[in-house]
Amino acid sequence: MPIDQVHDLQKVYRKLLDRMARPGKLANLQAFQEKVDYEVACHDATLLIAMTLLDGEVSFHVISENKQPVEEKIAAYTLARHASMEEADFIIVLQDATEASIIEGMATCKTGNLVDPQYSATWVMESQTPLSNQPQLLLTGPGIERQTDLHTSFAPSIWQARSEAVQEYPLGIDLIFTDDIMQIACVPRTTTVSVQEVE
Amino acid sequence: MKNKTHFAFFDEGSKKEIRRTTLKAVAIPGYQVPFASREMPIARGWGTGGLQLTLSLIGKEDCLKVIDQGADESVNAVSIKKLVQQTTGVELTDQTEDASLIQSRHRIPEVPLTEEQILVLQVPTPEPLRDVEASEYVTKRLHAEEEYSGAWLLLFEQIMKYGKTATGADHPVYVNGRYVMAPSPIPRFDNPKMHTSKALTLLGAGREKKIYAVPPYTDVTSLAFEDYPFTVETFADQACHLCGANDVFLDELVDETTGKAYYQCNDTSYCIDRLNSQEQVEVEHHHA
Ligand SMILES: [Zn+2]
Repeated sequence: MPIDQVHDLQKVYRKLLDRMARPGKLANLQAFQEKVDYEVACHDATLLIAMTLLDGEVSFHVISENKQPVEEKIAAYTLARHASMEEADFIIVLQDATEASIIEGMATCKTGNLVDPQYSATWVMESQTPLSNQPQLLLTGPGIERQTDLHTSFAPSIWQARSEAVQEYPLGIDLIFTDDIMQIACVPRTTTVSVQEVE
Repeated sequence: MKNKTHFAFFDEGSKKEIRRTTLKAVAIPGYQVPFASREMPIARGWGTGGLQLTLSLIGKEDCLKVIDQGADESVNAVSIKKLVQQTTGVELTDQTEDASLIQSRHRIPEVPLTEEQILVLQVPTPEPLRDVEASEYVTKRLHAEEEYSGAWLLLFEQIMKYGKTATGADHPVYVNGRYVMAPSPIPRFDNPKMHTSKALTLLGAGREKKIYAVPPYTDVTSLAFEDYPFTVETFADQACHLCGANDVFLDELVDETTGKAYYQCNDTSYCIDRLNSQEQVEVEHHHA
């Protein structure tokens, strides 16, 4: 049974909206696992997010060592156009993306302008390890009652690049993380992220 | 020919556009994100912005409450509920605690909202600087430059004139210490409910084509001066003549025969709930 474009994607959207409003909180999209049978070389959760948000009105860019197959499939399923890093509305980081290419992307992608800060890129980033609330990153800011821990596979240098991309708030980028066990978590531009010392 | 209607009225493209806008609104609290507001089969100014948000959010498992100035049964609330239910078949409720989605005009319910709920507020005039500056081009730049002296001056002039902040409703707030935002025409009494609320609050202005948001656990402070702190409406130790509540927003009514003023909860479902539970206590008392 394929994904129901109306009812399934509504459910994905509500989880995504709730998690964007509550940075660091994990959501599980396991309920759709069996329906995501599209043979695209990305996380199922990444594809679900793309199907939920992308259409012919927006553009995307994929960061990967082997991006062409995923680019083609996402364009075919969503009708979104492929665009350069500088122009893309959505940037999709696959598991095999190099640290350098992500850091370069965060320095060159759209971050909006003061009059229209919404003209910024939303990143969908595939964590190589399962997302969890184990200590690694300490998150504070709107949507978080006190503080919350988040653990991803991304290196401190990438978090440094992210913090540079959001330092002129309201300019910035909003991040959606996915993993291969159908979990998602969000880190919008308002979240202060500090990388904790690992023992 | 059978006219196939969409679930929740909109085609999926329209929903996606509203959803993308809403996510941006959540990521930039208090900032009015423009969107391609659509024509709706209800009168303009009757909450088309709120309705569009509700339709972009709602799913088969939701339970919807719609209130207009505190009442679930007003003409406006009923026509919105009808449209949503006809196109979704979702369950409706008057009980604040049973609702997963609450669309409201002019009030935030008295029952504290939870992390599982979303509050959608209908907004007629989203721009808090409109009385300062008529041009949208200019107000967008004032927000960009965090130039809010006009909003402060308006408030100051009111204090000079009335000796206190005299905003009836829609008293401007600072969101997350960055954007000055119109909280929609809720009474000042409701402004503090937005501060570090457990629920996500979304605001929609159909005519002005804007969506904005206050995420949960976000600082919302009402504009005020040190010498003239922000105060909410008080009801001079009055209580609801029906349920006896004295810590809620009350409507002042006048007895036509005696000419005397009396008070009643503005949030009718809250009042009915209290009456029902009082009755329950009485019944239990009788049977004891
Ligand atoms: Zn009452």
